[in-house]
Amino acid sequence: MSSIGLTHFVLVSFALLVAGVVTVLTKRNAIGILIGVELILNAAGINFVAFNRYSYGNMDGIMFAVFIIVLAAAEAAIALAIFLNFYNNFSSIDVERADGLRG
Amino acid sequence: MDTDQLITGLVTISLMAPLVTAAAITLLTRRVMFKAAGWFATVVMAGSFVCALFALLQWMGREGDSAIVTKVPWIPLGGGDWLYLGILYDSLTGAMLAMVTGISTLVHLYSIGYMEGDKRFNRFFAYLSLFTFSMLGIVTANSIIMLFVFWELVGFTSYLLIGFWFEKRGPQLACKKAFVMNRIGDAGFLVGFGILFYQVGAKLMVPAVGDGDGNMFAAVHDLLAASGQSVTENPPAWLTVAGIGLFCGAIGKSAQFPLHTWLPDAMEGPTPVSSIVHSATMVAAGVYLTGRIYPILTPEAHLFVATIGLITLVMAACMALVMTDIKRVLAYSTLSQLGYMILGLGTGAYAFAMFHLITHAFFKCCLFQCSGSVINAMHHEQDMRHYGGLAKKMPITALCYFVCTLAIAGASIPYTLIGISGFYSKDGIIAGAYNFGHAAEGTLGAWAALFYWGPTVVAYLTVFYMARSFALTFLGKPRDEEKYRHAHEAPWTMTLPQGVLAIMAILTVPMVLPFLDLINGSLDAMKDLGVTWVQPGVHGPDDHGVHFVHGALLHGLAWIIALVAGIALYMPGMRYSAKIAAVPGINVLHRWILNKFYFDALYDVFVVGLAKLIAFVARMVDTWIVDGAVNGTAVLTRWLADCTGIFDNRVVDGVANGAAALTHSGGQLLRQTHGGRVRHYVLVVFASAVIVLLIVVIAAHGL
Repeated sequence: MSSIGLTHFVLVSFALLVAGVVTVLTKRNAIGILIGVELILNAAGINFVAFNRYSYGNMDGIMFAVFIIVLAAAEAAIALAIFLNFYNNFSSIDVERADGLRG
Repeated sequence: MDTDQLITGLVTISLMAPLVTAAAITLLTRRVMFKAAGWFATVVMAGSFVCALFALLQWMGREGDSAIVTKVPWIPLGGGDWLYLGILYDSLTGAMLAMVTGISTLVHLYSIGYMEGDKRFNRFFAYLSLFTFSMLGIVTANSIIMLFVFWELVGFTSYLLIGFWFEKRGPQLACKKAFVMNRIGDAGFLVGFGILFYQVGAKLMVPAVGDGDGNMFAAVHDLLAASGQSVTENPPAWLTVAGIGLFCGAIGKSAQFPLHTWLPDAMEGPTPVSSIVHSATMVAAGVYLTGRIYPILTPEAHLFVATIGLITLVMAACMALVMTDIKRVLAYSTLSQLGYMILGLGTGAYAFAMFHLITHAFFKCCLFQCSGSVINAMHHEQDMRHYGGLAKKMPITALCYFVCTLAIAGASIPYTLIGISGFYSKDGIIAGAYNFGHAAEGTLGAWAALFYWGPTVVAYLTVFYMARSFALTFLGKPRDEEKYRHAHEAPWTMTLPQGVLAIMAILTVPMVLPFLDLINGSLDAMKDLGVTWVQPGVHGPDDHGVHFVHGALLHGLAWIIALVAGIALYMPGMRYSAKIAAVPGINVLHRWILNKFYFDALYDVFVVGLAKLIAFVARMVDTWIVDGAVNGTAVLTRWLADCTGIFDNRVVDGVANGAAALTHSGGQLLRQTHGGRVRHYVLVVFASAVIVLLIVVIAAHGL
């Protein structure tokens, strides 16, 4: 293997993305889905930083990654509020219980 | 308004009034009209009579003898011919009109008494009035077609009248028989009429002055003259056939041989019906028709007419001798007198035949009414063997009957020319027959003698059988004590008409000469307008015929002898006559005559049998072929219906159900996308995003 290049960083973020997507899709636990979402967001952050390393003259990528972290925190708060409401209605955080749209 | 219009108006009123009566009685309710029907009809008919009489008086005072003909074009018949509505009025019509309306009035009055208590009282008067209307229509018809229309109407109304008591079997059969036999005669009538129609078209009958449309007689004469023929010389065969054909209608209607068997059976109807229909009017219609078509009867047709009349009068007189039912005696007497009239017409004694028609109407009507009174008094017993001695109980009726017996006998004061009505008419006819017989001796040889000896002998027989019926009914000892005790004279509504008619029978004496003048006047008027005809006839008081008849009838003693013989033989009842009838040679003859010469049996086998055979064949056709076709069609329709049903069930419903099932399964399929599982939704979103990205990248950069 040659020196570590962009491809390696993108592959790592891709692996994280795939892990996050699979977690979202397969977890029944609401918190688990939230963890997956965080993984996806972090994968996107890694992608931004990686591309910033190989573009000259600015720090846009790094700034955007900071924004992502802030937004991820806010969104986690909201998600937890939703899951609290969910728990109030269904007495469980198993998302399989929300099948009201079933036809 | 001049005389012609006045006469036309009067005749129209006279004709239409009975129709209005019949309509009123039929249409108004029973409550209104039941009791009043009798008097209402009588009064209206009396009004009709007054109009007719007034018209006749106007006619007698009128100048000129040619007929009045009114015509309103009604139906076009093609070839320039029209069927006209309208009336014809000449002497014959006038006399017949007055006679028919007068007799009808009296019969209406009589019926009020006779039909009392009958449950269809009002309907009887409707029928009587309708019948009178039809008869008046015949008498005033201005063309043969219109005459035929009313002819049929008369037949139909007489069917209603004869079958008035239709709950009983006798009247049912009798009215059918009368109508059918009339119809058979009408078939001949139509043949004759058809021939005439073919040759000359449909025209009015009698010529009138200034009548531009032509008439039947003139048309026939013109047609014949064009080929040098005339009615009397060398006439064409079709004219003879036409004349005989038209006369066949008269045979049917006037009950001549061989269509005579319906008249005695028609006595099943109520007696007023017999007195008007079978003595005065309907049976006279045939004589009237023959009189009307007189100018186109060829000598051969005349011979035929005379022969039929002769056979009828002899045969009927024989049968009247042996009948025990009083109405049947009178019926056969009518047949015999009609034979006289037809014989008179055939031999050329036109005026005398018509006079006999008028006088016969009066005295026969009276005779029937008297018999009706007797039948009523004896509780509907009609067999003379149970009568006897009724003169004490019913003097008025007996007197009327006797007067009319004298009338029918042709009574006269011996060795003078003063006599009762029948004397003039009957002697005139026999005189005409003698002239005819002599003129025909060349062609007929010895048979010609029958034409004048026949009616002469029958004249004796007539007196004899009438005296027989008088003696059996009114003289001698009563043979049925029970009924005799209850007998009583008839109410005034019945005796008054009888009396009037008896008086009329006598009063026709002063009418003879004016009547003959009138009739001959009309004939002369026709001759002036170009019509000629056969006529030996009677040429005046001194000709051979008159001499013969006075000699043969013993100058007026004949009737006295026959009358006395009849009364003497029958006053003690049937005792002596039964002994005579038992004599070996005579009893065979007696049985033959009693069975009416077996005519009824003959007709039953041949005519009725044939009709039944045809009916049987028709029924077989109807059951097997017609019903078979109908049922077959039904089966076919049912099979088609089944097929359609299967198609409907399987195919049509199948399509509908299939579409529904398809939709259902499609829906079930699509339903699975809505599982309600959130993670599936997320997967779908993610997969869609990937696909879209792939598409964008490939589209931008190619594969």
